[in-house]
Amino acid sequence: MTNAKLKLIILILGVAIMTLFSSPARASSQAVTASAPLTIQILSAQTLSGTAGDFVTVEGQLQNTSQIPVTDVTIYLSLVDLQNKLPVDLEDWSAEKGQYIGSVDPGQTLPLRWKIHFVKAGDYSIAIVADTGGNNMPLISTITHFQVSPKRNLNPGQVLPVAFGIPVLLLLLFAFLNYRQTIKHS
Amino acid sequence: MFKYIWFKEVKESLSTWKGMLWLFVSSLIFSFTSYLLLTDKELSLLDQTELLWLLSKVIIGVAILIVAIDASSIITSEFEKETAESLFITPLKLKDLLLGKLLASLTLWGQIYIVAVPYMVVTSMGSGLLWGFAGYVALLGSLGITAMVMVIFAISLLYRSSKNTLTTSLIILLALSIPAFFSSTLTNNPMAQFFGVVNPVDNIFSSLDNVLVDYHQSLLQNWNYLLPLLLFLIASAVFMFFAAKRFQKEGVIKND
Repeated sequence: MTNAKLKLIILILGVAIMTLFSSPARASSQAVTASAPLTIQILSAQTLSGTAGDFVTVEGQLQNTSQIPVTDVTIYLSLVDLQNKLPVDLEDWSAEKGQYIGSVDPGQTLPLRWKIHFVKAGDYSIAIVADTGGNNMPLISTITHFQVSPKRNLNPGQVLPVAFGIPVLLLLLFAFLNYRQTIKHS
Repeated sequence: MFKYIWFKEVKESLSTWKGMLWLFVSSLIFSFTSYLLLTDKELSLLDQTELLWLLSKVIIGVAILIVAIDASSIITSEFEKETAESLFITPLKLKDLLLGKLLASLTLWGQIYIVAVPYMVVTSMGSGLLWGFAGYVALLGSLGITAMVMVIFAISLLYRSSKNTLTTSLIILLALSIPAFFSSTLTNNPMAQFFGVVNPVDNIFSSLDNVLVDYHQSLLQNWNYLLPLLLFLIASAVFMFFAAKRFQKEGVIKND
């Protein structure tokens, strides 16, 4: 066997081994690419406005536009306070911060719905984010804006007459008892 | 005879600034709390049931504190003003004195409760929980405060000094209230759970939670909280009984 033939055999063997070991990685890479075609849309208006304390419903849609099922889909909301340039904890804003969808079949469209409480006055942006199994990149919808105006109610639940009235009534009662006692002693 | 002591104490408290100031201060605390909680509720930060639970805790907490401070001096003042000797020269028995003073302290609790009623009405509007709210605050507050007053009376008979009685009573009250400030992680600790079962303040707050937040309003559904409270009440009565026996043995003028 000549030296050139030996080199050729080694080269073929090397290529064969590399192909063998690199195939799972390639397959996985294909899966990542394949799982990407999910689209998320917010169907509600691009700007939602209201007063602090109001409720609004954010509606969206999740669609698998690929030919293979997308697994381990988790969706959640991302709310950002535009004035303070900070993300907002959804604790008080929504009872459902995230939803585990699981698998989305090819061509399947799923409706999404969140009930949001406007807690604090300000300008906010909200988007729906989706994490899918085996995908390093989250998917995100377009942004919808919240304009929340402050609520100014000085008498929530008609509490003001009681909150002011009872201490005043007690002061008057005490003044009366004191006055009666003074009269009695004099 | 106990009625004489009882009416005398109530009359004295109603005719002095001190007695009325307690009610005024408690009304200010209830006003501030209910206004704050209702504003928060408007912003949907708080469920109405949780609001009622918080207010019930404030009502009972304020009442226990005020009654404890008042009860700390109601007996010991007789020793400090040196009126105890002349009091026991009369046919008055110690049990009449204790019963009269106990009823006077419970009357103060009753007065605070009456002040709290309008706040309970306004905050529970529309929830359908008014009767459960007002009823359980009355029941749990009465059990807890009666037991606490008996403990304080026992300490008063042992110490015969307002300062020491007040300090000890406040320390006991603080020790019993501390678990109420624990986070949920700490309350899941087995030691904290055991302490919660035997602690009367914890049982009062847990029962209110059960009634107002979880809608378990029957006495049967709250029996696991009411039973430890009743046992605490019996233990307090026994403690007061032994303190009274010791007091009688030592005499009005203590021979150290």
